[in-house]
Amino acid sequence: MSALFQVPWTDYRSDLLDALGRTLSYTVVSFVGAVALGLAVALLRLSRAWPARAVAAVYTEVFKNVPLLAIIFLTYFGLASAGIKLDVFTAGCLSLIVFYAAYLSEIFRSAISGVHAEQTEAGEALGLGRASIFAHVVLPQAVRLALPGTNTMLVDLLKSTSLLVTVSAAELMSEGRLITSATFRALEVYLVISAVYFALCYPLSQLLLLLERKVRAGIPLSPLRRRRVRAAHELLAADLARPTVRKESAV
Amino acid sequence: MTEPVITARTTASEASLPSPAPGLVPSEAVIRIEGLCKSFDGRRVLDQVNLEVDRGRIVSVIGQSGGGKSTLMRCVNLLERPEAGTVEVAGEVVHSGGRTVCRDLPGLRRTVGMVFQRFHLFPHLTAVENVVLAQRRAGVPEQQALERAVALLRRVKVAHRGLARPEQLSGGEQQRVAIARALALQPEVLLFDEPTSSLDPEATREVLSVMRELAADGMTMLLVTHELPFAREVSDHVVFVDGGQIVEEGAPQDVLDNPAQARTQEFLASYGTTS
Repeated sequence: MSALFQVPWTDYRSDLLDALGRTLSYTVVSFVGAVALGLAVALLRLSRAWPARAVAAVYTEVFKNVPLLAIIFLTYFGLASAGIKLDVFTAGCLSLIVFYAAYLSEIFRSAISGVHAEQTEAGEALGLGRASIFAHVVLPQAVRLALPGTNTMLVDLLKSTSLLVTVSAAELMSEGRLITSATFRALEVYLVISAVYFALCYPLSQLLLLLERKVRAGIPLSPLRRRRVRAAHELLAADLARPTVRKESAV
Repeated sequence: MTEPVITARTTASEASLPSPAPGLVPSEAVIRIEGLCKSFDGRRVLDQVNLEVDRGRIVSVIGQSGGGKSTLMRCVNLLERPEAGTVEVAGEVVHSGGRTVCRDLPGLRRTVGMVFQRFHLFPHLTAVENVVLAQRRAGVPEQQALERAVALLRRVKVAHRGLARPEQLSGGEQQRVAIARALALQPEVLLFDEPTSSLDPEATREVLSVMRELAADGMTMLLVTHELPFAREVSDHVVFVDGGQIVEEGAPQDVLDNPAQARTQEFLASYGTTS
């Protein structure tokens, strides 16, 4: 065991922490961007206007069928040769966003389509406008349907940041490559780097599973809903404490 | 279309409906339909239908499935847009000559509450939240919306299930929550689209009991139903629709007990209700 672990890890501690921070930054920024773009593309694919649907379909098919590595090279090296020079963080995030937005748009589209049309109709019958129906009726139900696939994509995106090693993005994998170059201990270094990825991804996926369960069980997650349910609970408890005769006469 | 004034009610007793004074039931039409036509894929499902529902009255629409009853009802709040004819709600023409002339469609739909056959509750919300949602979007303050929701849930006898989600409720409970939800914006008229068709006999009894109380309180109702004894009991007027046309209409005892038209007699015979 001692023969396997000979890298002076304490010397690399601060570099590794920086790299870990950058991996997390790439993940968070790219995921937020991919969710926003994916939702926009999904809405375009569900649009009544065929040109919007066509543009969204072409986008999805292109980015689903091109390897992420090719997109990273195109964004960082390709655009630079066309005069558009992006820094490595921007290029890395942009690559991850356009790639994962294509997959997320498919997840969101199927989730939104999966909400029964009668739910929209019920909202209309209650006098809700289109924006209210989307925000308060369709979206919360679509989120519930989209959550498992979206969570898988988040964990996958985190792991895919390792591909940014090819443009020296100074994230975990790049740091691993630097340590390997300095120590020639490839097995040990990449075992440790893999363990760090596992230590990030496993708890994250378990947390997301917990979130899925809470959402499926209808547990209110937003502060507004929590307050409303608590207030309703108090009102209902006070109501149920009333004598039956009085309750019936009040009705 | 005038925006309905939503005044929040804060006490349980205030959740009851304003009933017309005895002997002073106003006779103006809340719903007036003239020459209504509607087709789906070239098939005419409503053909020159005329119908009036006066304030405080209960009109039941009966007929075989596929006869156009539900489409007729859905044309009132413009969930379906007629191709021809006029729809007037609360004195306001909302659709005429194949064009929607109502400028405030959400306002129209708050004036006309609707209860669906399969409840259509929002599954991600609790019963009380289902009743609160439309009120909040209509500008009712949070606390008042909650108090009104609780009062309405009590009124339909399902307050004890207020924090349950639809999937945790029985069919009868779900339909009663749906009725509370439809009442939350204090509509001038309630549309019931076969409200008991998806329910077992016990749940049907529960829902009909709530509807009976609404009727006793003077709620204006347009009701599509297969519950002929109930239609006979609560209705002021019964309309028999077949093939997209009104074949016969009149007082319940006339239409249901002494139908003049052969088609109505045939329909009622299939239910075993004619004398």
